[in-house]
Amino acid sequence: MKFINLLKKELSELLNKQMFIGLILTTLIFMFVGNIMETTISDAVNETYSLNICNNDDGDMSDRLMDMLSQMGENDALTLKVVEAQGEDYADIINDNDISSLIIIPEGFSDTLAEGKPAELISISRMTSAATMSNLSNDTSGAVSVIEKCITNLLAENSGLTAEDLALMDAPISVSENTVIDDKSAAVSMDNVMSKVMMQNMILPLIVFVLIMMTSQTLMSAISNEKIDKTLETLLSAPVSRTAVISAKMIAAAVVALINAAVYMVGFSVFVSGATDTVSEELSTSVVTQAISVEVALAQLGLSLGITDYLFIGIQLFLTIMICLSVSLILGAMVNDTKSSQTMIMPIMMLAMVPYMISMLADVNAMPTAVRMLVYAIPFTHTFSAMSNLMFGNDAIFFGGLIYQAVFFAICMFFALRLFKSDKIFTISLNFGQKAKFKKNSGNNNEE
Amino acid sequence: MNKVLEVKALSKQYSKVLAANKVSFDIGEGEIFALIGPNGAGKTTTIRMISTLLTPTDGDAIVNGYSIVKEPEKVRECITYLPDEAGAYKTMTGIAYLKFMAGLFSTDKNVIDGYIKRASDICGLGDRLNDKIGTYSRGMIRKLLLARAVMTKPKLAILDEATSGLDVLNAIEIRKMIKRLAKEEGMSFLLSSHNMLEIEFVSDRVGIISKGKLMVTGGIPELKERYNAANLEEVFERVVIENEVH
Repeated sequence: MKFINLLKKELSELLNKQMFIGLILTTLIFMFVGNIMETTISDAVNETYSLNICNNDDGDMSDRLMDMLSQMGENDALTLKVVEAQGEDYADIINDNDISSLIIIPEGFSDTLAEGKPAELISISRMTSAATMSNLSNDTSGAVSVIEKCITNLLAENSGLTAEDLALMDAPISVSENTVIDDKSAAVSMDNVMSKVMMQNMILPLIVFVLIMMTSQTLMSAISNEKIDKTLETLLSAPVSRTAVISAKMIAAAVVALINAAVYMVGFSVFVSGATDTVSEELSTSVVTQAISVEVALAQLGLSLGITDYLFIGIQLFLTIMICLSVSLILGAMVNDTKSSQTMIMPIMMLAMVPYMISMLADVNAMPTAVRMLVYAIPFTHTFSAMSNLMFGNDAIFFGGLIYQAVFFAICMFFALRLFKSDKIFTISLNFGQKAKFKKNSGNNNEE
Repeated sequence: MNKVLEVKALSKQYSKVLAANKVSFDIGEGEIFALIGPNGAGKTTTIRMISTLLTPTDGDAIVNGYSIVKEPEKVRECITYLPDEAGAYKTMTGIAYLKFMAGLFSTDKNVIDGYIKRASDICGLGDRLNDKIGTYSRGMIRKLLLARAVMTKPKLAILDEATSGLDVLNAIEIRKMIKRLAKEEGMSFLLSSHNMLEIEFVSDRVGIISKGKLMVTGGIPELKERYNAANLEEVFERVVIENEVH
């Protein structure tokens, strides 16, 4: 009952209006950015098939090319816009015609081709910002390849080749792609498996990262605020055990972190699906034709995780939260002012950031032994690479990590409890720059 | 008179400093005892040990029959402690704070309601109890904390600088309240203060501590006579200087 009272107090302090507003805003931002991504990518993919062209050549080849492009335009294979432009002030041309890209067929284009030499095309792209997505629709490489194909067809026609000959020359081989993982194989391209697995592997690390940061920050503030606001002594002189005080704080911090993680998971899923669905839809209708679906391939390759796997990942997430809580207890106890409470989160942030980045970019298991040991010594690494380890059959590493995390937690919790049950909770301090000043002050207090 | 507190050669050694050196005194039921001394003399350390916040290096203290070393949980049921410069949870309302603290002393709803009613009457904050503590003045917070410290009718209330942050009128009111609670309800008080006037007005007996050692204890008239002093301030000065000379 007293414990419930403590827990209620902790939760009511943490689950406040500001937190809920923050969560709602986070979800809205994810949805908003997801929608923008969806629209931008969809626009960009559509725009790739639009072609702005200016023909300054009066030769036979360029005329035939223009006819061919017009016909493609009529058949809706591309959106063609013919522009009149003279001179070399490309900025003026682009701005006057209000277009973002342009291909110019210069004078003498047909003559050069007739001489059997490669002819030059002028490509102009407008760059509007440094953002990756912003210039997708301004890229002319799609338009150039369409023109290149048309010219190849025209040259082939001139040489008397048939359409079949040309098709064969264009695609002389067909590839039956297979991917092997351990002792399993599936008729699917590795790129497709990668892109699918990557999406899954992006969400878990993000959730883990949010969980680690939120749990640590919440608990550290809960402890340090008691010290900074001078409420800790009153609380600990009341007839409740220190273990109950700590447990209430730990549970409340874990609840808050889980709520945050859930919001991030939903928000990020909306964001990712917004971005990836559009791309995969476009790809699946135009380019990629698979022998089997990627989902079936993943199952064949043993990459689909079962209920047991998710249960193990759940256990690991739980252990991760517990490690965060125990480390934060120790760090929070060392805080004596607001400034140092912000600094104290740094060690945990670094311990989370390093494996987060590594797990996104590289395979820890493929690193040199010394580096691998070092990275795996960070307990959070095991959580970040959990999904990958389970998918690729690195069970020994996964379960080894689980045991390591359990031991790490037990050690940290032992020290945290010792700290809280001793006088040190009132005397310990790590105030970096202010260390000397604090020592002096606490010395005075202690002596009183 | 039944002894509510018996301090037996209580010592606390920090790494290099002996903050409390075999401190011994006792407090009877309904008695107000004040521990006075210069800054850094060991008052807060002694009080923190009796409040079970710090573990003594040596010695013991018995509160209502329970040892602070062997039965700290039992001791905490009999005491309340109000530290100097203590704060309260700013995001809570005054009434929620009282409810939370009352819930740590009892699980019986009726008892808790009784504690809250008593504290609300004592603190005199009226409707402001429904406002967040973050909006309170320092004096209002102190009154709330004082009411919290006595609402459970503890056997021993330990108040460090009880009236700090209060204006003269409020301070007088609190001193009267302490005397009334001791006389009418038999509550015992262990006070610590730098305000000699306050101590002289409110305390039955005092203990003067200097450099970790309890130099002298006794009733105020008795000490004034012993040190041939006009008031407690002079007694304090003579005892402390005497200790520094030795």
